[in-house]
Amino acid sequence: MKAASICTNGQTGCHFISLANLFDRVIQHSARMHGISNDLHSEFELYFLPSKNQIGRVSHNCHTSTILTPNGKENAQRIAREELTEVILKLLVAWRDPLWHFHQDMAQHHEFNNFSSNKSLEMSDMVHELRKGVQKVVEKMQMLGIISPSIGNLGTPEALLTSDSAEWRLMNDYDLLYCFRRDSNKIQHYLKILKCRIVPEHGC
Amino acid sequence: SETVYECPDYKTAGENSCFFSKNDTSIWVNYNITVVATNVLGRTFSDPVDIDVVYIVMPNPPEEVRVSVTQKTDWPFLRVSWEPPKKADTRSGWITLIYEVRIQLENEDEWEVHPAGQQKVFNIFSPRSGGTYQVQVRCKPDHGFWSEWSPSTYVKVPDYFPREKSMWILIVVFSAFIFFIFSWLIYMNIYSLKHCLLPPVPGPKIKGFDKQLKNGKSEDIFSSLVVSDFPPTTSNYEDFLVEYLEVYVPEERELIMEDSKELQDSLKSENSTCDNDSGRGSCDSHTLLIDKGGCDKEDGLQSDQEGSQPEMDSKRHEEAPEEELLEYSHGNVHSPDISSEKVKSWPSLFSPLPQYSLSPVNQPSPPEMGKQHCLSDSLFAPDALSSYCTQPGPSTKTDFRSNYWECNFNHKQSHPLHPQTAAHEHLQAQNDTIMACVEHIGAPLGVHVPNVRPTEYVEVQRVSDENMVLLHPVSSGQENSCTMRRQIEDYSRVTLNNDKGLLLLQSESMEEEMDMCPNEEEMVSRVTSNGYTASITPTSQKSAAGINTSLPILDERAASGYVDTTTMFGLPTY
Repeated sequence: MKAASICTNGQTGCHFISLANLFDRVIQHSARMHGISNDLHSEFELYFLPSKNQIGRVSHNCHTSTILTPNGKENAQRIAREELTEVILKLLVAWRDPLWHFHQDMAQHHEFNNFSSNKSLEMSDMVHELRKGVQKVVEKMQMLGIISPSIGNLGTPEALLTSDSAEWRLMNDYDLLYCFRRDSNKIQHYLKILKCRIVPEHGC
Repeated sequence: SETVYECPDYKTAGENSCFFSKNDTSIWVNYNITVVATNVLGRTFSDPVDIDVVYIVMPNPPEEVRVSVTQKTDWPFLRVSWEPPKKADTRSGWITLIYEVRIQLENEDEWEVHPAGQQKVFNIFSPRSGGTYQVQVRCKPDHGFWSEWSPSTYVKVPDYFPREKSMWILIVVFSAFIFFIFSWLIYMNIYSLKHCLLPPVPGPKIKGFDKQLKNGKSEDIFSSLVVSDFPPTTSNYEDFLVEYLEVYVPEERELIMEDSKELQDSLKSENSTCDNDSGRGSCDSHTLLIDKGGCDKEDGLQSDQEGSQPEMDSKRHEEAPEEELLEYSHGNVHSPDISSEKVKSWPSLFSPLPQYSLSPVNQPSPPEMGKQHCLSDSLFAPDALSSYCTQPGPSTKTDFRSNYWECNFNHKQSHPLHPQTAAHEHLQAQNDTIMACVEHIGAPLGVHVPNVRPTEYVEVQRVSDENMVLLHPVSSGQENSCTMRRQIEDYSRVTLNNDKGLLLLQSESMEEEMDMCPNEEEMVSRVTSNGYTASITPTSQKSAAGINTSLPILDERAASGYVDTTTMFGLPTY
């Protein structure tokens, strides 16, 4: 079924939330998510020190490396809003399943303390919540005519699951955390830039 | 990727540094950096460091920090504002900075740090009045490092009305108010407080002494109590003893005193009280007059005689110890307090002769020259007396005593002016008791009286207005004054030689006596002593006998009732 928006413009009983406000909520949410991922990554480095003698072990093979993401501020400002929005959504979709499995592994392995287990769960939920929020924003923007409605297809779960479904199982937990920390940072930045490009009068 | 890039710049960042510029790095790329040390012996690698540029961002400090004092309300506050560093692109939202403000009061060490979030304005409330503050701001990206603190910005808070001072002012005013109330209460009740805390000390109370004590002249008071010359030493013995005539005053004398109130007043003023105290003048006849039985006349006489004797001795001429002198030491010798004694001495003149004679016991055993209370004694040398006076017995003092003639002088006669008439009356009333033994005076003295007659007593009847003492002879009968007068022809007048201070007896014709008889003025012994009291200078044998006229005629002495002999005597000594 297609989810229908409950509130449309002009309907009574709906509390109208501005786009700027939506962006702020999303940005705060992404910041929160990034913070948790950063904490988990720091904890993992305490327990799972990388071998110091390994020279050349540089890159972490993240399953999301196939998603083209702008690698700087200039690039992020240069691409169209719709692409930026799609990137954000792709990232969020790509990380829903791996994080859930990660949480499952944390719970089973009692190596981590409860704090880490709770964070992994929180992190998994956050990704899910954030994706929904970004979708709300996109719909808002599409409704406002800011962006074209051509990117709505990416939000479907079926499209996301078909791609990159097996690569993330090959990553270990540490790499998973490392990759997620970086992707959450990207999401945060992209949302900020998007906000300041679309609604710049509020805190930009 | 495995590409190794060497440091392009070793200088920009300082010593032992490598600067990879922005072109050489990219965000969201995980770099592995190692430092390779190379020397002759080989190469060594440091531990790699994985970094992601995003996470090691350290921005520049905030810029344009401004602090201002805002006084929109009664209590001002500080408003701090700043700008993000210019190189930090917060406008695109690419970097998000959070800020931190810290403030410090001048001359203090502690900073007050305030997280400011992402806002660029911050308010600091309740600054110290008149204080100077120092403000700094720094920033940090979400996942980066804190920047350096911005340069300090100073701000001075103006002096607004602080609460502390107002409270002190209230306290001071309140305490001053209470103080004033308290002092006012004390002022209103100061007398009662004084009476409570310092009760009045009762002063000394000695009856009759209070006033003098209160006056504070204690020395004078106590000096008066102490008779300096008591107990009397032999050296001063004669000086302070009063010599005066003692005359027995019969009980009838009281009538005289009563009649003359003036006299009584004067006498009363003397505070004459009769007592056995020998220190007081021996029983004054004044007291005798007043108190019938209260006075021990005999004792007084004795003491008087005793007292008189030393005086007589002292004043007697050396050559003639036999001479008997009457002396009056008057008040000037004594202190005023004893004046009463002298005054009292005058009435002693009235002591009746017969009483005296009848009581020879009273007569002390005087020395040879005992004091003669009566003028008559002084008039005579002891020998003479014995020869002149038909006195039985040996020529002893006692005989002399008996030979004295009593001058019945009303004490009032001492007052020359006024009481004359009264005195006459009084004298008349005392015919019986008045005995006067008039002695012949005039001879060169003394001792020998050519015309020896049996002693006859002349009664002084009265004193005339002219201060004349009327004398009439007194016989055994004494009934007819006139007849008595006739018997005595020789003595009709007693005059006082003013020059010599002598009381002279002059004979007058009988006719005069006759004439005067009815008037009882025949025998007039005129005492023309105007203010004189006949007294005798005891210095010479020939001192004329002076009739002791109890006439302190001196006006000054009138009240006191005694005559100062010294004043009288302008007389040359004999």
